[in-house]
Amino acid sequence: MFLWIIYPYLVLAVFLFGVVARFNGNPYGWTSKSSELLEKRLLRAGSTSFHWGIIFVFFGHVGGLLVPIEVYHALGVPDEAYHVVALGAGTIAGIAALFGVVMLIYRRWTVKRVRMTSSAGDWIALLFLLVVIATGMMATGRNALAESAFDYRTTINPWIRGVLIFRPDPSLMADVPAYFKVHVAAAFGLFAVFPFTRLVHVFSLPVTYLWRSYVLYRRRGSGKSA
Amino acid sequence: MILTAACFVDSYSISKHQVSLGKVRRMKRIFPSIEKLKYFTKRERYSDGWSELSPYGREWEDAYRSRWQHDKVVRSTHGVNCTGSCSWKIFVKNGIVTWENQHTDYPSTGPDMPEFEPRGCPRGASFSWYLYSPLRVKYPYIRGVLLSMFREAMRETGDPVKAWAQIVENPEKASRYKKARGKGGLVRASWEEATQLISASMIYTLKKFGPDRIFGFSPIPAMSMVSYASGARFLSLIGAPLLSFYDWYADLPPASPQIWGDQTDVPESSDWFNSGYLLVWGSNLPMTRTPDAHFMTEARYRGTKVVSVSPDFAEFVKFADHWMQIKPGADGALAMAMGHVILKEFYVNRQTDYFVSYAKENTDFPNLITLEEREGGFVPSRFLTAEDLGVETNNAEWKTLVYDDKTGAFAVPHGSIGFRWGENGKWNLHMRDMTTGTPIEPRLSVLGVHDRIATVQLPYFDGEGKAVLRRAVPVKQVEAGGRTLTVTTVYDLTLANYGVPRGLGDDAPADYDEMKPYTPAWQEAITGIDRKLAERIAREFAKNAIDTGGRSMIIVGAGINHWYNSDTIYRAILNLVLMVGAQGVNGGGWAHYVGQEKLRPAEGWSSIAFARDWSAPPRHQNGTSFFYFATDQWRYEETPVHELVSPLAGKARYAHYADYNALAARLGWLPSYPQFNCNSLHMAEEAAKAGQSPADYIVNELKSGKLQFAVDDPDDPANFPRVLFVWRANLISSSGKGHEYFLKHLLGTTNGLLNEDEVSLRTEEIKWRGDAPEGKLDLLVSLDFRMTGTPLYSDIVLPAATWYEKSDLSSTDMHPFVHPFNPAVGPQWESRSDWDAFKEIAKQFSAMAEGQFAGPVQDIVTTPLLHDSPDELAQPYGQIKDWKKGETEPVPGKTMPRIHVVERDYAAVYEKMVSLGPQLKEKPNGTKGIQWSVADEYEQLKKINGTSRRTGITNGCPDLTTDTQVCEAILTLSSTTNGKVAVKAWEALEQKTALYLKDLAEERSEDRMTFASITAQPQTVITSPAFSGSKKGGRRYSPFTTNIEKRIPWRTLTGRQQYYLDHEMLIEFGEQMAVFKPTLKHTPFHPGSKRPDVKGKEVVLNYLTPHSKWSIHSMYYDSLPMLTLFRGGPTVWMNKDDAADAGIADNDWIECFNRNGAVAARAVVTHRIPRGMAFMYHAQDRHINVPGTKLTETRGGTHNSPTRIHVKPTHMIGGYAQLSYGFNYYGPTGNQRDLTVVIRKMEEVNWLED
Repeated sequence: MFLWIIYPYLVLAVFLFGVVARFNGNPYGWTSKSSELLEKRLLRAGSTSFHWGIIFVFFGHVGGLLVPIEVYHALGVPDEAYHVVALGAGTIAGIAALFGVVMLIYRRWTVKRVRMTSSAGDWIALLFLLVVIATGMMATGRNALAESAFDYRTTINPWIRGVLIFRPDPSLMADVPAYFKVHVAAAFGLFAVFPFTRLVHVFSLPVTYLWRSYVLYRRRGSGKSA
Repeated sequence: MILTAACFVDSYSISKHQVSLGKVRRMKRIFPSIEKLKYFTKRERYSDGWSELSPYGREWEDAYRSRWQHDKVVRSTHGVNCTGSCSWKIFVKNGIVTWENQHTDYPSTGPDMPEFEPRGCPRGASFSWYLYSPLRVKYPYIRGVLLSMFREAMRETGDPVKAWAQIVENPEKASRYKKARGKGGLVRASWEEATQLISASMIYTLKKFGPDRIFGFSPIPAMSMVSYASGARFLSLIGAPLLSFYDWYADLPPASPQIWGDQTDVPESSDWFNSGYLLVWGSNLPMTRTPDAHFMTEARYRGTKVVSVSPDFAEFVKFADHWMQIKPGADGALAMAMGHVILKEFYVNRQTDYFVSYAKENTDFPNLITLEEREGGFVPSRFLTAEDLGVETNNAEWKTLVYDDKTGAFAVPHGSIGFRWGENGKWNLHMRDMTTGTPIEPRLSVLGVHDRIATVQLPYFDGEGKAVLRRAVPVKQVEAGGRTLTVTTVYDLTLANYGVPRGLGDDAPADYDEMKPYTPAWQEAITGIDRKLAERIAREFAKNAIDTGGRSMIIVGAGINHWYNSDTIYRAILNLVLMVGAQGVNGGGWAHYVGQEKLRPAEGWSSIAFARDWSAPPRHQNGTSFFYFATDQWRYEETPVHELVSPLAGKARYAHYADYNALAARLGWLPSYPQFNCNSLHMAEEAAKAGQSPADYIVNELKSGKLQFAVDDPDDPANFPRVLFVWRANLISSSGKGHEYFLKHLLGTTNGLLNEDEVSLRTEEIKWRGDAPEGKLDLLVSLDFRMTGTPLYSDIVLPAATWYEKSDLSSTDMHPFVHPFNPAVGPQWESRSDWDAFKEIAKQFSAMAEGQFAGPVQDIVTTPLLHDSPDELAQPYGQIKDWKKGETEPVPGKTMPRIHVVERDYAAVYEKMVSLGPQLKEKPNGTKGIQWSVADEYEQLKKINGTSRRTGITNGCPDLTTDTQVCEAILTLSSTTNGKVAVKAWEALEQKTALYLKDLAEERSEDRMTFASITAQPQTVITSPAFSGSKKGGRRYSPFTTNIEKRIPWRTLTGRQQYYLDHEMLIEFGEQMAVFKPTLKHTPFHPGSKRPDVKGKEVVLNYLTPHSKWSIHSMYYDSLPMLTLFRGGPTVWMNKDDAADAGIADNDWIECFNRNGAVAARAVVTHRIPRGMAFMYHAQDRHINVPGTKLTETRGGTHNSPTRIHVKPTHMIGGYAQLSYGFNYYGPTGNQRDLTVVIRKMEEVNWLED
């Protein structure tokens, strides 16, 4: 009850309000806190690997959690094919992300100047990422190796969608294996700390660059009345 | 941090930009997240979609716009003794001091010169960091152990004085809190409780031991005059001695009073530009005179040649046309050789008219010296005087003679010191006969009119030892009083001394290549400087002076002034500017910059600071002697004085230096507080009981031996200093030379002293006690805004206002302006300005004294025989007559100190402190032996400041409650800042000299500086007899120009600049004339005592502590902006080859130690420093990044841990013309440079953090 109803909403509330409050309250503190100036070599390897990995993992999760299994069936995607693709691509992306995050932790700990400039938030963000990615990998790995009948597309998937449309059904989570539960709970933890760490830079991805005009003008003063 | 915080706060307020555009609207604040949604609104696109109008606002720009916005700008400065005295704009924003930058509005130097503006350096520009830094002392603190003892004792006794007695009289308790010094444990207290504890300790000390056991140490009044005056005035009213700093810092050049009778008077930096030839000798101008160095580089553009003398490749060297790379401490040898060249080429081989006429009128070259016949030849003795020739006149033994070419006879010209006192009208430099008034043609040399050629014996010193030189001089013989006197001139003796060949049949070196003193070849062996170069620079220096009328200048500084024999080095160097007629000429002469010494509004300030408006005399103690005894450094002397005296003197008077100090105290030469081994507040009563005057009583008691000078037994608890106030200073570390001796003996806490006194010299006169006392001091009180060395060791720390939080005055040698400190913000947290802090102490003290003393008490005050007073004629011919040995009678003011009775009303101290006393109106005020009335100014001050409304003695007196009122009083009462006073001062000197002088100030007789006027713009000082240079008509300040141009005598024996000194003790040390003396040979450890085991490779180097680039003393050293610039902690610089020998790589942790202590630091391995020496830049305090060292088993010391002072007996001379005592004017220097250290790599860096 708590874990699968109250907790997710608590997290989502903290996440949403936290992000908005931070953006409004301290807009100049909105940052990725780049430490590239302090150390480059390890960062290049760790950061690149982590970011590409996590992006694919993210889309994988969208595909696996938000798209109902019925859609796949309707499209005629056999379960085996889905699993092969999900496991194959997911493992590659997951390993890249895991390698990246381990690398980043190693860097943050061993490079003194990076360590000295680290805040608690930096550590929390990294450790949550490590736990979430590691448990995710373990869950997927065990599931695949054990060839278990468990399919998250029929359990976690509808549960999460239920949460998002305010019709949570905790019974869907009742039979989910423990390692998936840990993964899900940790992932929500990550969302809870998200607004208070450097992770907020996710929202600053400059995607609008792709279609905006090259030259921008702004009015003097504020808004329309010039 | 503060800046960014301020920006964020500002970004939501209305920007100044909008205000200026007239578009002030109350804008509704839009949340950034809502603003973002505008992305979805329709937007305008232009240029085929290449450009578009963004929907977002431009508020973000305000963050950048407001970055440099501020609410107000306030004029203030930094009181840091860097000599800069730069005026700064302090910017305040939202009640926070955010940054500072340079003021540019100094009065112009005129159209033909570079300007003073802008002035400032990166150190000053970072000061605002301190206001809100973690180092800031925000509240009063008391050592926790002491405070709980005091609270407990208060509960028991209910009386603070009794409570204090209970603590300090209990050895266990006393030792417990003393041992806690320097180990943290300071707890926050209230001002009330802190001042109560301070007052209790003072009253206890007054009643038990007397006021001369309470001391105050604060240096450099010019850097913040009111702050200095605050504690000084309070302590002077109590009768507590103030400690001098100039001599203690070894910044005082004793050669200056010796030659000129003047403490130090030097040109402002702009006068460097007027020079034709600049010899920069051990003064690192770009680094340590940063805001002034530009005048040196600008002078180069107009053709001035710059020559540098330095052992290391210092910053100033790169500006020079020549680098004379000299061995450390060998400067005297180079100067002697240069003097040899100048005398030979410009005086003997060819007579230069300009030099000769300058020498005759302005130096003692023509004065006659008597020669004393000894086995092996004559020895130069003393000046021939009118008394010798039986001339009946006032002060006959103080009037010196010349040989008059016109009459072919001896004559007494005007101007010698005998004319200064007891008569008027002939104390001037007119070369006229005393009795007939006819002009005299003085002869430089008696050669040509001589009776015979005689052999004189002259002392010689070098690294190998001592020798006697025998040289020929022409002499005249005079029959007088039944004796035959053999005399010659100072000039003849000087030529003999410098070894200039004159064909008189002696062995003077015939040419420059002969290896005899003092040829260029001889110096090459000592200094390492090419003989041809030395010869060439000497010649150019003199030739430039001929071509420019004396515009040859030598800039000197601490680099050569901190040696044991710095006075002989300086005399050898200063002789060069006298020889070429450069002194007293704009663009010429000496320029000594070692500390912010020139306090321009001198007389007004000193009257207030020393409370002369209420009572006189104040007690002024020379710092070096005080610390020498108080820290028991005197117990560790090793080199007998015999090794240092003249080969002609045989044995020294005493083997031990301290015995010389005892002699100086009892003969009235030096001050000596504590005075006697009994309470000075009880003596008047005792005298009355015995039916004698206080003076008679003391003389009788001393003779009978019942009364003793305290200095005769410094380790007797009755003679300990008990309470010490330190403000505006960092004594424990920054200036505490012999740091570990301070910790052990004065403070009684954990220390790293590696020395022992079993093998040291024993005293003869001073009582030696078996066990050296530890923890002499009962209470150390410091006022500071930084938690640094001294506060960390203090028992009570009071939070001081910073330089941006108070009103005060600043002036310097380097420029001629007086300008203010102003509060940009109020004193932060619970801090107070020094004036308010001492007022608070005074208030509490007076209230508590009310019940402790029955009424006013009589204090017996002894003072030494003072310079610029008739007492400087006390001991004729500089003969030492010791009444203790029965050589003369003890007569106060003549053969021993003066004795005064001063009334102290301890309950009225506060009232007196905050009101200007009536003595100023009733008695004349003055300086340098002249006096005038300031009664008009006193009345004027009643209107400017308002008057005291208190009842009692202070009623109706001008009010001094606030620091700005004190500033107004100083400015109004002083001749450099009030034109009317300047004219009066010149008139007073006219009376004495019969010269026309007041035109020097008349052009500005209507000028009176006020605090508002100097806040509007720095103001140029008015020419005054308080100083020797003229500013008339806007000319650049250069010292002694009024002496040269107006014929005012120097305040010396002969009235002229002296090459020759004839005091008996100078003769004992072989220093009648300039000589070369090598540095002292001190090994790191006494050969007869144990040293720490040798571990691995080590190297022994000469240990020097010059001034740093990234700090001013300990100030700025601990600030983040400066620490970021260079290695962020203690460093020692050493040569790369020395480092290689010891297996040390750059940035290795090293330990640097000798018998005095050890310091841990990082090595800076460099090629800039020659082999054999190590630099540990001055005042690297102990609270920044210092690990422990196994040597001392404690945290690795400060830069002063391996140092100690070495006192020189000749600096203790007194009671004799210009060699009479003056506060910060004469006295042994606290020099610490003749030292060596062992340096080795640290095996293990232990931060002692467990």
